[in-house]
Parts: sequence; C-alpha cells; structure tokens
Amino acid sequence: MTAWYVVINYLRLTLRVTLMAFFALRAYRLRSAFVIAAIALGIASLTIIIASIDGAERKADEIMDMFGSDAAFVIGGDPNSRAVGWRGLTLTYNDVQRIRDELPGAYLSVPMRAKSNITLRYGDQSVEVPTLVGSTEGYADVWNWPLAEGRDFSAEDVDSGAKVVLLANGPKEALFGQRSALGATVYVNDLPARVIGELRYRGMASMGGSIDDRLIIPITTLTQRFNMDRKYVRALRVKFSDPENMAFHRENLRSLLRHLHNLQEGENDDFSVLTADEILKFISMFKGGLVAFLGVTAAVAILVGGFVLANLFYLSVTERRVEIGLKKALGAKNQAILLQFLVEAVVLTMIGAFFGMLLGMGMGQLLARLGILEILFSWKIFFISLTASGAIGIIFGLKPAREAAGLPPVEALKGV
Amino acid sequence: MSSALIDLQRITKSYRQGDLPIDVLKGIDLEIAAGEFVALLGPSGSGKSTLMHILGLLDRPTSGAYFLDGVDVAGLDDDQLSGLRNRKIGFVFQTFYLIPYLTALENVVLPGLYGQERSASIRRRAQEILQQVGLADRMDFRPSQLSGGQQQRVAIARALLNDPPVLLADEPTGQLDSTTSQEIMELITQINRQGRTVILVTHDIATAACAQRRIELHDGLVRRD
Ligand SMILES: Nc1ncnc2c1ncn2[C@@H]1O[C@H](COP(=O)(O)OP(=O)(O)OP(=O)(O)O)[C@@H](O)[C@H]1O
Ligand SMILES: [Mg+2]
Repeated sequence: MTAWYVVINYLRLTLRVTLMAFFALRAYRLRSAFVIAAIALGIASLTIIIASIDGAERKADEIMDMFGSDAAFVIGGDPNSRAVGWRGLTLTYNDVQRIRDELPGAYLSVPMRAKSNITLRYGDQSVEVPTLVGSTEGYADVWNWPLAEGRDFSAEDVDSGAKVVLLANGPKEALFGQRSALGATVYVNDLPARVIGELRYRGMASMGGSIDDRLIIPITTLTQRFNMDRKYVRALRVKFSDPENMAFHRENLRSLLRHLHNLQEGENDDFSVLTADEILKFISMFKGGLVAFLGVTAAVAILVGGFVLANLFYLSVTERRVEIGLKKALGAKNQAILLQFLVEAVVLTMIGAFFGMLLGMGMGQLLARLGILEILFSWKIFFISLTASGAIGIIFGLKPAREAAGLPPVEALKGV
Repeated sequence: MSSALIDLQRITKSYRQGDLPIDVLKGIDLEIAAGEFVALLGPSGSGKSTLMHILGLLDRPTSGAYFLDGVDVAGLDDDQLSGLRNRKIGFVFQTFYLIPYLTALENVVLPGLYGQERSASIRRRAQEILQQVGLADRMDFRPSQLSGGQQQRVAIARALLNDPPVLLADEPTGQLDSTTSQEIMELITQINRQGRTVILVTHDIATAACAQRRIELHDGLVRRD
C-alpha cells in the first residue's frame, strides 16, 4: 500500500465522518447548543481582547503621529514637587530663542501660551471655544498638523502682533460649516481677527475635550490684547532633524535649559521634557495592564468553555456507547471513532467561534460607543478565533474521544 | 489446518468476578463449512452470546485458536479485526441496534462508510438491498417510525451491505411476535440459500428447525452437534 493510498483513505474517512458528525450534532441539538454557547463566550472575550489591544495600538500610533517621534515638548514647572510656591511659568522667550539658535539638531522651537474659555463670534453667530493658543510661525509644522486651507503665521505676523487667527476644525465647522472661513473677520472675545488658515480635522480626544476645539493667534497678539506678561511662555515644542538620537537630544535640551535657568547641581529641574519615548512607555504600560486584565478574563472564559465541552462530551460518550459499539462491530477502526468525536468537537467549537466573534464585535462596539474601550477589528481576529476554537475542540475533545475509541466493542454494545 | 470457513480449537473464555474466575466457555471445538446454516441452542447463560462475540471478532478468547478462512485471528491487531468484521461478517442483534437519528437508508449505508468503496455505489446497493428486504417505501423513515419487524429488516439489510460470507444473528426474533418472526426467519433462510454461512442463536425450537445443523451449548461446552 502506498502512502498516497493511505492519505486518500484517510481523507475519505474524514469527509464521511464529518458528514456523520453533522447528523449527530443535529440529533443532540440541546447539548450542541450548550457547547456552542460556552465556546462563544470564550471566543467573544478573545475577540474583545484582540480588538482592544489593536485599538490601543492604533491609539498609540495616532498619539505618536500627532506628537511626532522627532519632537520634544517642554512644559514649565518642576514635575516632582508641586509644593507651595510652585511656578508653572518658568520658560521664557529667551529659552525658545536660545534653543533654536544653540541646541544641536534642533531646527524648530515654538513657544505656546494658552487662555481658556473664549467666545468666538462671526456675524450673529457665536461659539464657546475651550482653548485659545498663542504661538509663533511654525505652529502647524511643529505639531505635524497640516493646514486644510490658508497658511501658518509668518514671522511678521508675530513681530507685529497681527490680528490674525488659525481655526481648528471644531470652531470652523461650528461657524462656517462647509464654507471656507479664509479671509473672514471673526471676533475672539472682543478682538477682531482675520482668518488666515484652517487646520485639518484631527479627531483626537485630549484631556478636557477634543483637540480640534481650539483657536491659535500669534503669541504677541495674545499677550498684548489679553493682558498677559511678556516674558514667560507656558510650554514649547522643539523639533529635531534626526529622530534616531532622541535620547541624546533630550539630555542636551535638558542641560541647556538647566544652564539657562541657572540651576545648580542638586537642584530639581523647573521644567519637564516629554518625548515620544515616554508617551510610548506610558501607553505600553497601559496596554500591558489591558492585556493582563482582558487576557486573564479571556483565558478563564475559554477554559470554562473547554471544560463544558469536555464534560458534555464525556456524557455523550457514555450515552452513545451502543452507537460506538455498533460502529465498531460494523468495522469502524478505533481511529474512525476517535476522529468522529474530535470532528464533532471541532465543528461545535468552530460554530461557537462564529457566534463568539459576532458577540464579541457587538460587545466591543458597545464598549467603544460608551467610550470605555478603543477597539479595532481586523482579519487577525478571525484567524486567531478559528485557530483558538479549533485548538479547544481538539485539546478538550481528545480525552473523551480517546475514551470512546478505546471502548471494547462488546462492553460498548451492552450500553450503560 | 482444515478447509472449514470457521475452525474453533479448544476455545475458552473466562471472566474474573472479584477473586473467583468464571469460566463461560470451557473448550469449544467447532468446524463450520462455507454455506452452512447453523443454529446455536442452549439454556440462558450457557455462553451462546459469548461464543457469537468470539466468532464475530468482537471479543478475543482467553485461550484456544480461531481460524477464519484459514487465518489465525489471534495474530491480528484491533484494526485488522475491524477490517475483517467490515468485509467478512454481518451482524444481526436481538435489539436491532439501529442509530435512532439516521434514516433506514443511512443506517444501511453505515458499514460501507468504513470501507473504500465510492459513496454513490454504496448508496445504490443499500437501496437495492432495502428493496430486496421489502422496504423500498421506507428508506427515509427513522427507526422510531418503523415496526419491530421492519427495524430488524433494516438491520439485516445493513448486515448484508458489504456482502459478507458470514451472517451472525443473536436471537434476531427475540423481540418479535410469531408472525413477524416467521417472516424474518424466511428472510434469513433465503440469505443462506444465496450461499452465505449463517449462524443463528435462538431459544426457540421452531426457529432452530430452519437450520440444517443444530449445535447445543451447555455450561460452556458443546453438548450435541
Ligand atoms: N463481562 C462479563 N463479566 C462477567 N461475566 C460475564 C460477562 N459477560 C458474560 N458473562 C457471563 O457469561 C455467562 C454467559 O453469558 P452469555 O451472554 O454468553 O449467555 P447466553 O447463552 O447468551 O445467555 P442468554 O440466552 O440469556 O442470552 C453468563 O453467566 C454471564 O453472566
Ligand atoms: Mg445471549
């Protein structure tokens, strides 16, 4: 007998056994439904865990995309002590200038100040905007935030304290809808300003609302017209030409600022530097927690599904002893009986996987809508679920199937 | 070695019940030629079913030799025995043993599925045989929708599917009324006339009368042949 012949025989048997499995599963439909439900719950949790890990990854990508792997964000104030007398305003225009001029590798250095809760008016319509940012030329660039229309500030705008404004997507949509806002005169509180650019929709949630709900005016205009001091800035962004050396740049930036702020050895920084690395570290920590929590949940759910399957299959083997004995009497080899029960188990777990994926996607959608989880569905879920459920079927179905296959025919025919 | 289809030599079978062994078969010598119709008689507990299981390769004897068609079956492994059962032996049981969730036709097809024949031809033959046993119009019925006699006909059709040379029937009429029993016995007699070796266990003298040869088992030994 050639190997080819053996393979053909085996395939034929598998096909026939699979067809028989469907008859049996239909006949014992209540039991089948239980197994399907148990497996579906496990696969649903698995679906949610994969979707939410992918979601967290996408979120991380988005954040990274916005933050930029070639940038640093410096914010005033000592992050480690928020004791009495804490000052958030420690960075100066001078710092911004010196960084741009002296820090190796830095090609952009943009300051920022903010004022909250502004009313923006156009014609007889107005909208509340949570954030008004004052900045300089290069704002859009330094945040990797492309303009949908118009232009960024020029050096002249900043030098002269020009009454010009960039609209982010939120206020633009609110006041102009689909129309272009370019060239229109809007009122920022009472300050009339000409719209010179619209920032593209970014769609990122940030602390305290959407990142798209903001206006940007030249920082000089902000300090002059809104009575703010003219020495300090709240934060600054620095961009470097070679992102490979970020750790090095970060240290350089820190020592330059310490030097500029006259900090002695032993004194704490009065600013903090944030780079993509740290954000990634935070995200991966968050993701790690998510994986651990959801992973344990999914593992438990799948294990429970597996045990339900194994127990119901033991019951099935006991109840179908006569069928097993008869099939052996008719010439079924042990392997054929083993295959029969394994196929029955795998068919059920596969069906369970199908419903589990549907359930998981439904629940995932719900969690996403409620803002509890960030999710992303992909084909990966499909393949992992089918593989996992197939494995559950084989692993947990194997022992009962072995038991069935090993029954001596005469014993089996006697029944329970 | 003899030319008999079935040749049993000093077959014994014992079970252990706790500490004491129970000797069910105590040394059976038996030769059955191809085409014979043998009735196996004996009181309850004399070991008839035990002997049938050994003849049908469902069980192995404790000692002794069994040659089926010249082959010493003691030397065969479980898979080889399954193959032999599939091709050489048809079983008919007292309680039919039909699979309840399959139709008559699907039940008859069953032994074919464990062989190498193509499905279409298995199915065609199953239909032919069901027709021969008078169930042409009951092929798609479930066992629960059939009378006892009809169920036993389905079981007989199933036993014949792979055209085995030997038919083993353990009290095939034990659960049937006398008219139905007679019909079933006619069918079995007819099967024997086609050239098949039939071994039939029965309590009933009238039923045994159909056979050419009667073997009486008593307390694990052949008492009269
Ligand atoms: N698995 C077993 N373990 C122990 N004893 C057994 C076993 N199987 C059968 N026996 C014993 O073997 C003896 C013969 O049983 P068997 O079924 O062969 O009798 P039988 O002649 O077919 O009887 P009946 O006419 O009632 O069917 C009985 O005493 C029975 O108790
Ligand atoms: Mg008996």
